[in-house]
Amino acid sequence: MSEVITIKGLDENGRRINSKDYEEMVQQAFASSDKLILETYGQHNVGGRLKNNGKPVDVHVTGPCGQRLGCMGVPGTTITCHGPASDDVGYLNIGADIRVLGDATNGVCNAMADGRVMVRGSIGSRGLTMTKWNPEYQRPELWVLGSVGDTFAEFNCGGVAIVCGIEPKNPKNVLGYRPCVGMVGGWIFYRGETDTSYSRTNVMAILPDDEQWQWLLARLPGYLEAIDRMDVLETLSVRDDWKMLISIPPQERALMFSGPMPMHEFKTNIWNKGFGGGDPLRDLAPGLDRSPIGLIETGELRRRKPFWANREKAAPCAYYCPVHIPTVDRLRLLRDGKSREAYELVLDYTPFPASICGSICPNLCMQHCSRQVIDDSIDVAMLGRHSKDIPAPPVAPSLGKKVAIVGGGPAGMNAAWQLARAGVEAHIFEKDNKLGGKLAQVIPWERLPKAVWETEVDRFLNTENIHVHFGVNMTKDKFVELEKDYDAVVVAVGTHEPRRIPFPGHERVIPALDFLKQGKSDNPPQVGKQVVVIGAGNVGCDVACEAYRLGAQEVTLVDIQKPLAFGNEKKAAEALGAKFKWPVSTKEVTEEGLVDAADELIPAQTVIISIGDVPALNFLPEGVEVMTVGGAAWIKTDDACRTSNAKIFAIGDVERPGLATNALGSGKIAAEAILCDIKGEEWKPYAKDVVSLKNLTPAHYEPDSCPGHTDQDEADRCMSCGTCRDCHLCETICPTSAITRRKLEVGGYEYVSDDEKCIACGFCADTCPCGVWTLQPF
Amino acid sequence: MVSIRSVPSTPSSLTPNDLPWIIKHNENRCTLCGRCTSVCPVGAIKLNYMRKRMPRIVLSSSERGSSYKTFVGIRQRTDPAHRCIGCGTCSMVCPNEAIAPAPNANDDRFRFHTNQKGEPAKRGGRRNMPGASLLDRMIFNRISMLTDPALDAGRHEFQLNTLLGRILPPEEYLRRKMSGEWIPTTREIFPFIIGSMSFGALSPNMWLGLLQGVAYCNEVLGIPVVMATGEGGCPPWVLKSPFLKYIILQIASGYFGWDEIIRAIPDMQCDPAAIEIKYGQGAKPGDGGLLMWFKVSKLIARLRGVPEGVDLPSPPVHQTLYSIEESVMKMIQSMSMAWNFKVPVYPKISGSTSAKAVLNNLVRNPYASGLLIDGVDGGTGAAYNVSMDAMGHPIASNVRECYLDLCAQGKQNEIPLFAAGGVGKNGNITQNGLALIMLGASGVHIGKYIMQAAAGCLGSERNRCNVCNIGLCPKGITSQNPKLYRRLDPDQVAERVAETFMSIRTEMKKILAPLGRSQSLPIGMSDAMGIEDKDVADKLKIQYVC
Repeated sequence: MSEVITIKGLDENGRRINSKDYEEMVQQAFASSDKLILETYGQHNVGGRLKNNGKPVDVHVTGPCGQRLGCMGVPGTTITCHGPASDDVGYLNIGADIRVLGDATNGVCNAMADGRVMVRGSIGSRGLTMTKWNPEYQRPELWVLGSVGDTFAEFNCGGVAIVCGIEPKNPKNVLGYRPCVGMVGGWIFYRGETDTSYSRTNVMAILPDDEQWQWLLARLPGYLEAIDRMDVLETLSVRDDWKMLISIPPQERALMFSGPMPMHEFKTNIWNKGFGGGDPLRDLAPGLDRSPIGLIETGELRRRKPFWANREKAAPCAYYCPVHIPTVDRLRLLRDGKSREAYELVLDYTPFPASICGSICPNLCMQHCSRQVIDDSIDVAMLGRHSKDIPAPPVAPSLGKKVAIVGGGPAGMNAAWQLARAGVEAHIFEKDNKLGGKLAQVIPWERLPKAVWETEVDRFLNTENIHVHFGVNMTKDKFVELEKDYDAVVVAVGTHEPRRIPFPGHERVIPALDFLKQGKSDNPPQVGKQVVVIGAGNVGCDVACEAYRLGAQEVTLVDIQKPLAFGNEKKAAEALGAKFKWPVSTKEVTEEGLVDAADELIPAQTVIISIGDVPALNFLPEGVEVMTVGGAAWIKTDDACRTSNAKIFAIGDVERPGLATNALGSGKIAAEAILCDIKGEEWKPYAKDVVSLKNLTPAHYEPDSCPGHTDQDEADRCMSCGTCRDCHLCETICPTSAITRRKLEVGGYEYVSDDEKCIACGFCADTCPCGVWTLQPF
Repeated sequence: MVSIRSVPSTPSSLTPNDLPWIIKHNENRCTLCGRCTSVCPVGAIKLNYMRKRMPRIVLSSSERGSSYKTFVGIRQRTDPAHRCIGCGTCSMVCPNEAIAPAPNANDDRFRFHTNQKGEPAKRGGRRNMPGASLLDRMIFNRISMLTDPALDAGRHEFQLNTLLGRILPPEEYLRRKMSGEWIPTTREIFPFIIGSMSFGALSPNMWLGLLQGVAYCNEVLGIPVVMATGEGGCPPWVLKSPFLKYIILQIASGYFGWDEIIRAIPDMQCDPAAIEIKYGQGAKPGDGGLLMWFKVSKLIARLRGVPEGVDLPSPPVHQTLYSIEESVMKMIQSMSMAWNFKVPVYPKISGSTSAKAVLNNLVRNPYASGLLIDGVDGGTGAAYNVSMDAMGHPIASNVRECYLDLCAQGKQNEIPLFAAGGVGKNGNITQNGLALIMLGASGVHIGKYIMQAAAGCLGSERNRCNVCNIGLCPKGITSQNPKLYRRLDPDQVAERVAETFMSIRTEMKKILAPLGRSQSLPIGMSDAMGIEDKDVADKLKIQYVC
């Protein structure tokens, strides 16, 4: 037990000793005593730094106290300030017990890490700021009997404050304005009123739980004894008077919406009420659902919807064929093993599948066949030839009507064929003594095999309801009679008037039409060794071939423009040695041959002109409108091949020159229009759009290195554009199993997509080999 | 004729590598769940079947031929109408990180084909100028280092608001006060204002979400944020709500929605914050609104007083105004009169070398309450690319010259200037805004930033997404299709608005505290700012620092 040493703050002359010298005096006294009385006179930083190795040190401060009392105080030190204290009591204190028996000013406990500051009065602003807590040691404590000033406990990191609210400086607000800004640790017990301006993002207000209350209750007497105020112990021992602010752990803070009011609460209590308690758009858009949805939705919330558009669009083969023969269906029947039905099907469209599709047609179907993107087009011509010997199916029951058809070429024959099969009596009036028009009269047998043709003509003639009148020279009078006696009259006379050019010597020139007709007759004409054909189109090529067949050795086709010949006709002529020469403008034709505009002679013994034929319409009654194109009159028709006289139809070349298959097509259209008239139905043109190649998926097919030649090969190769192949790929690829195949009661099947499962990914459309599935916006 | 089996080539035939965004699809990770193709706003991607040929070529063997393997992948379309816009929504829905668009780093040839059918390219967004903006490069370099009272952004209280409206000189104010004369209305508002985006350009969920957030800022957070409507009117229930006081109603050359506003005046519980008369827009100076038919839904049509599904272009200019004097006279007076001269009325113009002429007219007009100048980096829901990219005036020097002009007349404290155009384009919202304030603006308008921050707008200056104009916004911000705009939850937008303004408030303090400024906004406090660019420093009369 050492002697008490008193250190005065004034020197012998009554002058204040500066803080540096005073500290040296204190440290010197401390070396010999652990009981110090500091009669300070405003010296700063006193009471701390007394390195005592844990032994108790008792320091009493009796004079006017300077700033930072107990600065860097160490454990074991007890500092008692017997009056009020200035700023920053306990600054950087790491363990001293500091008692202030009066008030303390600002900054109490600033950056304190351990120990206690116990104040008998109130404190100023910024108390308990930057207070630390190292978990290896005790929490620092600040005890205040009265109240604390503004901005209390800023950035408090673990300190505990107890604010008792006894005789507070501001009874309305014992915690001051805006406490706890930036506070991240520790807690505050307080008693009395506050302005609730504490930082809500840092602390939350709670009531002490049992453990916290026990903590407080256990320590209260020690504090009150230290400041000698045991008299208020009972007052302070009322649990209900105490409240707490406790720091919000960062983990919890991160979960809070940083706004002080949850948005749903704001919406209910403030927002909706602003609009009279309802949606602000309810008058503009009643019932508008604006509730949140996700990115992937089904049902009505999809932006697109898949649609199994089976047979809604035409395959290119059917679309580009003037008769619209559905080859895709033919091949499907073949795949299904129904070859008879397959070959019969085509007879619904044409009486000449072998003669036209299979022989002379340039096959627009094959030119546009989608399969070409993989290897080669489907051999539709071969399919046509396979129908050659198929007997005509029975005709429909009679409708009791009859139709006159003037001209027995391909157009008239198909009109008759369609009408007859539908139960209408079809009467063909043909000028010649055989059917077929130019097919029979003009096209060389090399290109249209005679046997094939005759077989199909026989099938035609053996069909019920078909009546043919040969050798009829149509006149105006006869035509009027027909119009009167028949339910409809179809003009299908073709073009049998050769075009000519009146150059000198034109009388030496043989029209191609006459030449070819004669060539095919029993009395073929003589030709010279050298032949010139004026006009190098496909008919010109036929002429050239025919000339070679009849003995010519050198055939030259001349034209004033680049020859229009193409395809088989051109190849055949070239193979025989025909030469094409252009531009050649004919000046005259002499005995030596053709003289062109440059006076050059192309020697020829025979000159044939092949620049087209025009209709001969002298039988046509007044009132049927015609139009003049290229110096000739052609009958004007509408989409149904109907002329300006509703009862008269015109089909084939007489309407517009074209391919044999165009003639077949118009014959079918006229027949359908007449049937609609008979049945009182509205005729509708073929309206299907063509399937876009982009919608097909060619990658499903493997290229065939030696394309198939059997009908079964073709059936397998067909891409079935626009018509479901029933391959189940859509069902397989659908990621949400929305697509199923359903049998229909009426026979057949359909694929359907379940709206409640489908997310409109479009995989069905991207996968469908046939381009059947489409996605439509809705 | 190109045969079917050949591959056609047109002048606009492009490959994926020619497009601005290239879809990277990792087939090994893909589960073919269909979500990416389902969600793609423009139908840019599809499931593609491809066939691989594997030749069997063995020199010593006679068994030869080829076998084929079909494989699938998600591939992009290359036609201009279906090109990938880079929005990345595919990536957002992909469960396996198997798909994402990547910007074409090399050779975007698509830019030469955006004029299909003779129609020049249009888009939403703003000038495509990636990289740091001039505002981003400004630094606040006057830091109070023990020289001024130290301010603590977290603890001290700051007066962060600004005034919208004409401020009379003190002696004039007192004279009028005493004689009972009319005193112009001023509003104390937060200096970051949500700029005019119309109900129509924005979806209902976006527009109302913004307003809900603005109301929250005012009523819960105590931040007096206001938002401008844009030209498209305002739903009647909103006009009659207590939230109208947070709304600046815009009138523009198309006059859309004003019939409903005028009808609602007798039923208004409060006055609007202000009236903005739009003469021009920074994104497309000299051009008007381009709301196209696909965004004119039944609701929008009803609100704007037009039939459904029609194009709603606004004329580039007001049809009955022929001069500045007339504009200022007629429009400001009519609009002021509608609310008995109790609502501030100010014009909005495109940044332009002629801005000072407009300003000087406003200075002389007793009813003019301010001037908003919208600079070249302003955004829009729809504009011709050429208008957006090539037309306009950068905001910094424009607002600076105007402010210095006011200073020269001693009027800088009387008529507030507001600046807009590219504020926060790289995310530095507070820094950009305060830079403009220190150059002389009383506040800034923000549009695209708030769409990006509050609703997750994906648009960028690398031309990502930017399809606001065609109503296909994948986030539902600028679409009028409920299937798209219902993706946006207005409550969440409101929350993000609140978060954004709370954060701006904090950042403002973080800038103002070191400057030692807490009692008023540092409007024109250009001595606090520097830039490492001598020419810019000279032009703006701020410090050159290096």
